[in-house]
Amino acid sequence: MSVILKAEGLTKTFRLSAKQQKLQNTKKKTITAADHISFEAHEGEIFGLLGPNGAGKTTVLRMLATLIKADSGDAIVDGSSIKTDPEGVRSKIGFLTSELKLEDFFTPNYLFDFFAKIHHLTPEVRDKRKKELFDKFGINKFAEVKVVNCSTGMKQRTSLVISVIHDPNIVIFDEPTNGLDVITAKVVTDFLMEQKALGKTVVLSTHIFSLVEKLCDRAGIIIDGKMIVCDSLANITAEKPLEDVFFDLYAEAKGGEEQ
Amino acid sequence: MKNIITIISKEFTRFFTDKRMILMTVLPAIMIYAVYTFMGTLMGDMFSPDEDHASQIFAVNTPASIVQSAPMFGLTIQSAGANEIDIIKENIINNEADLLIIFPQNFDELVGEFDSRTGPAPNVEMYFKSTEPNSQEAYFMMTALLDAYKSSLVTLFDINRGVENPDLATPENVAAMLISMLMPMLLMIVLFSGVMGLALESITGEKERGTIATLLVSPLKRRELAIGKILSLAVLSFLSGIVTAAATILALPNLMGGAAEDSINVDIYSATDYILLALIILTTLLLMVAMVSIVSAYAKTVKEAGQATTPLMILVMLVGVSGMFGGGAQTEMIYFFIPLYGSVQSMSGIFSLDYSVVNVLIACISTLVYASIGGFVLTKMFNSEKVMFSR
Ligand SMILES: Nc1ncnc2c1ncn2[C@@H]1O[C@H](COP(=O)(O)OP(=O)(O)OP(=O)(O)O)[C@@H](O)[C@H]1O
Ligand SMILES: [Mg+2]
Repeated sequence: MSVILKAEGLTKTFRLSAKQQKLQNTKKKTITAADHISFEAHEGEIFGLLGPNGAGKTTVLRMLATLIKADSGDAIVDGSSIKTDPEGVRSKIGFLTSELKLEDFFTPNYLFDFFAKIHHLTPEVRDKRKKELFDKFGINKFAEVKVVNCSTGMKQRTSLVISVIHDPNIVIFDEPTNGLDVITAKVVTDFLMEQKALGKTVVLSTHIFSLVEKLCDRAGIIIDGKMIVCDSLANITAEKPLEDVFFDLYAEAKGGEEQ
Repeated sequence: MKNIITIISKEFTRFFTDKRMILMTVLPAIMIYAVYTFMGTLMGDMFSPDEDHASQIFAVNTPASIVQSAPMFGLTIQSAGANEIDIIKENIINNEADLLIIFPQNFDELVGEFDSRTGPAPNVEMYFKSTEPNSQEAYFMMTALLDAYKSSLVTLFDINRGVENPDLATPENVAAMLISMLMPMLLMIVLFSGVMGLALESITGEKERGTIATLLVSPLKRRELAIGKILSLAVLSFLSGIVTAAATILALPNLMGGAAEDSINVDIYSATDYILLALIILTTLLLMVAMVSIVSAYAKTVKEAGQATTPLMILVMLVGVSGMFGGGAQTEMIYFFIPLYGSVQSMSGIFSLDYSVVNVLIACISTLVYASIGGFVLTKMFNSEKVMFSR
């Protein structure tokens, strides 16, 4: 299988404001949210980034989506570099994370049409895609309800649909099932497996082990901004269950820090 | 280009389908009209005498000469005896009489005999109440009558005898002067507040709510986003500016009372004047939008953006006021390169019908250049995660 997404030494350091230093109880002026992260995702597979809260998963994905710039390192996404061709990268990926909000004033239907235009979809393609996605995610019922009046789950479904409006080859989802009920969560995981079946590549982040076990072909475990392990799920869980692997790695990483 | 149009059409939909937004644009216009009209009526009542009022003027020892010339000044004088003086004064205080004149006995003779070398001139006493417009008016008219009488006695020369209208300024000149003093400042303030009302919501608001991030992960170029935002904000604030400016122009005659009604006549401007005015207004709007957008993009919250734009508002007002002084617009070319100031000078020149087309065009083009620089800066800011994701 060919490599379609390749991250090499992605590093991101944030400055901490005085307030944040206090909140995180640290004297450090900066925090390295991603520390030389490298991994590859192959065409037609689901790759999972697994890590505890604050590990740096979202930061890595935001760099891949060109929302923020890497301090060093680069990533090639389907032939486009996040450094030199950010627009190319953005047109090839579908990115979903909780910080991307939809305008309260508009309806899912209007927003779908708007983003279809931004992606230069023809009206025929747009309508076909709309029917497909609205049916699958049950958006028809609230397609004309202003976002402000939509529930959290409705908003998230709309966001998801809009993120993949252009039928991208690579889907990058940050915590895609967060805040969803089991039924909607299943719709999302089914969708991701379907994407895989269609030969598309999925990169997702999560702190839920079962999700990785259920979906991922390969996974990387991130702790404190560092990629500790990156391998096929079969290899990672060869000796013990994923959860145990993770706790051992976590203890090791944290133990080393405390001495 | 296509993307820019997509952004603009979304901004327009946002504006025109939101009753609240439209109301917020129309409301200030209605307020301006109402307040100006109210102020005009109030001031009119306060300072102008009652037209239909028949003046109650009483005179003691009324000389025949004065009684004869009184009707020419629209006055009727009633004779009174010396014993009535106190009663009439009392009546003036109670607004029942307007004026009391006390002539010396045999006034006409005394005046005829008077020689400045032999003694003091005959004295006329007049009592009135200055806070009462009718009384004030009667006093002025009577003074005018007496002055005319006085000068008819010793005529060395006349001024403007038989000349109907010595003021050679045409009504157009007067109107142009009034408008050129007031309008640039009004326009600048109205335009800028329109920009503020829209840009803060559209830029800081979207940033604060995280909706701009959704656009930033789309294949849209940051430049297209910046241009689309600036253009749509400029057009929308132009529309809101037109509404407010129209209300202002309509209300102006009401504010100034009847006097302005005939003199403020918009017909005095030619098509060229209007085209140049539209050009300078549009380019200035683009610059204002760019300025406010940059501040808005920096701000973390709409509230913060509002505070940060207040100094800009004051600056714009001060520059606007500069159009009221200095006796007409600047003529030296160099002034027209100064952002905002050049615009005000151009407007002031156009309104007073005394301008050079070259200077106005220089102001338009240089303003457009500054606005483009602003657009470039805004693009850079949309590109900067420090700006867009600062919390
Ligand atoms: N803009 C920022 N400024 C300062 N610190 C930041 C910023 N963004 C992220 N961080 C810090 O970087 C670290 C990694 O954050 P990140 O959001 O990538 O974690 P995560 O793995 O997605 O966590 P979670 O599971 O809670 O979503 C955290 O310590 C966070 O506080
Ligand atoms: Mg996260």
